[in-house]
Amino acid sequence: MTESATTTMPATSTARSTRNSSIVFDNVTKTYPGQTAHALDSLSIEVRSGELVCLVGPSGGGKTTALQLVNRLVDLSSGEIRIGDTNIMDLSPIELRRTIGYAIQQSGLFPHYTVAENIATVPTILKWDRKRIEARTKELLELVGLTPVENWLKRYPGQLSGGQQQRVGIARALAADPPVMLMDEPFGALDPITRVAVQDEFLDIHRAVGKTTLFVTHDIDEAIKMADRIAILKPGGLLAQYDTPAEVLARPADDFVAEFLGAERGLKRLALTTVAEVLAAGRDRRGSSPVAAAAGSTEAGNPVSAAEWPEVSATMTLREALSLVSAAHAQGARVMDAGSHLGDVTLHELICPPADDPARTTEGARI
Amino acid sequence: MDVLVGAFPFMTANFALLLEKTGEHLVISLIPLLAAIVVGVPLGVWLGHIHKGEFLAVSITNIGRALPSLALIAILIGIVGIGMLNAMIALFLLAFPPILSYAFQAVDSVDADLTKAARGMGLAPMQVLTKVELPLGLPMIISGIRTAAVLTVSSATIATIAGSGGLGDVILNQVAYGMEGVIAAALWVAVLAILVDQVFVLLLKIASPAGVKHLQRAAVAA
Repeated sequence: MTESATTTMPATSTARSTRNSSIVFDNVTKTYPGQTAHALDSLSIEVRSGELVCLVGPSGGGKTTALQLVNRLVDLSSGEIRIGDTNIMDLSPIELRRTIGYAIQQSGLFPHYTVAENIATVPTILKWDRKRIEARTKELLELVGLTPVENWLKRYPGQLSGGQQQRVGIARALAADPPVMLMDEPFGALDPITRVAVQDEFLDIHRAVGKTTLFVTHDIDEAIKMADRIAILKPGGLLAQYDTPAEVLARPADDFVAEFLGAERGLKRLALTTVAEVLAAGRDRRGSSPVAAAAGSTEAGNPVSAAEWPEVSATMTLREALSLVSAAHAQGARVMDAGSHLGDVTLHELICPPADDPARTTEGARI
Repeated sequence: MDVLVGAFPFMTANFALLLEKTGEHLVISLIPLLAAIVVGVPLGVWLGHIHKGEFLAVSITNIGRALPSLALIAILIGIVGIGMLNAMIALFLLAFPPILSYAFQAVDSVDADLTKAARGMGLAPMQVLTKVELPLGLPMIISGIRTAAVLTVSSATIATIAGSGGLGDVILNQVAYGMEGVIAAALWVAVLAILVDQVFVLLLKIASPAGVKHLQRAAVAA
């Protein structure tokens, strides 16, 4: 518990970029009328400028409530929410919402608007001139990878696949260049393959545009993949833990968090590190003979020798690499990048990654 | 069969009479219809927008359905007396329920995710209504008006018993016009009802934004 207590409120308003767009929850409580139990109970967290924070938890944890409090689709019962230095109650709801990108499950695209009209929704009500709206729309379609843009502008949402709709939904949320993004299970309705692709694209976009993002998901794997930090809420709207994915997985604050993360918690951690990182760390430790240790064990009756180890790409996560190694009954893997052999990693290195180093930064985990 | 065939010579022989009665018929049916649209559409749309009054919209419809127009007119003779106004009030009461309930349903049933997305992006309530709810609800609003139009035009026939004129004068007066006349006027009313219905179909086509037309084409294709 001490872990979460110290990390709940990180050092405030230091080392900010020029434009402060942090989202601060200060002792926020929400109780819906006619209900005695809190939907959200004394939540205090800060989402730093440019950070992507995932709100996860079971149904009834208040994660969507927390999100909708920020753009005032739901009214606060008590406490305070600030975006940058502004209390959200100081703006009218309409004004506030126009400065916040909002993307929801099933994309929420207007079926009677074309892709271009959907993306232009907020710029239009902000009365941008037509040239600017047109340029912005095209820029965003390129950003979300719907190119050539001319093919997409005039289509209707009904003519797009789920993944394409969700890309347009993201483009629409980004349209007026809001400093803050709220995303309510945006990829929840996508099939697994499309979901991974859209997640990857969104991460690229997030890195490129650097919006402060609050992201609700019920999928812990999605949170581990996407988030700089994860806020885990438990029933009754209580914050169970707020920390980096690596830290949450390594040191769950309590039994609830451990159970929520599941029995595969140890494996999930392996998804935070790439093969390239292990390779680099291995070289630091051992110098120039990375295969020596493994070669010894091959002689001890192992079915696959180092030369026949499966090939993995440097950008794979350890979890993916381990899966290949296990399938091949091997003791390690050959790391390949664009056809060249970068080195080898052993089974031991794959399951005991350098990610255990607590000094590793959040940024390190994401690369 | 002879009578049915005889209806057509009657039409040519009494064309002027039928035109005159058609004119009256349209006046006594379209004025109440327009009044019901002017009151019912905004009221239904507003109730649908605030998602309240479902009970009101549904009960009014049910009462409207339960009351036969003949009984309604008979009751009204007692209240407002005989005449054109009486007939028009009865027809208004007949046209109002479907228009109100369709308009309510049209807006109330717009996908809540869409209105949530619209509000979340910062659209004002009026913008949510005009940009999302009304365009998406338009086909259903028009459906309500079409139902009411057919109902009003056909029921205006009965209004004759209140002394309002219209094609009912011919239909209910077999003594003067013969069976041929009754059939001719009845056919005339049927065609008139279909025509009025089609006018609103046309209106929907003209008034729909491009996106709504696209949705309707997609719905037909599916």
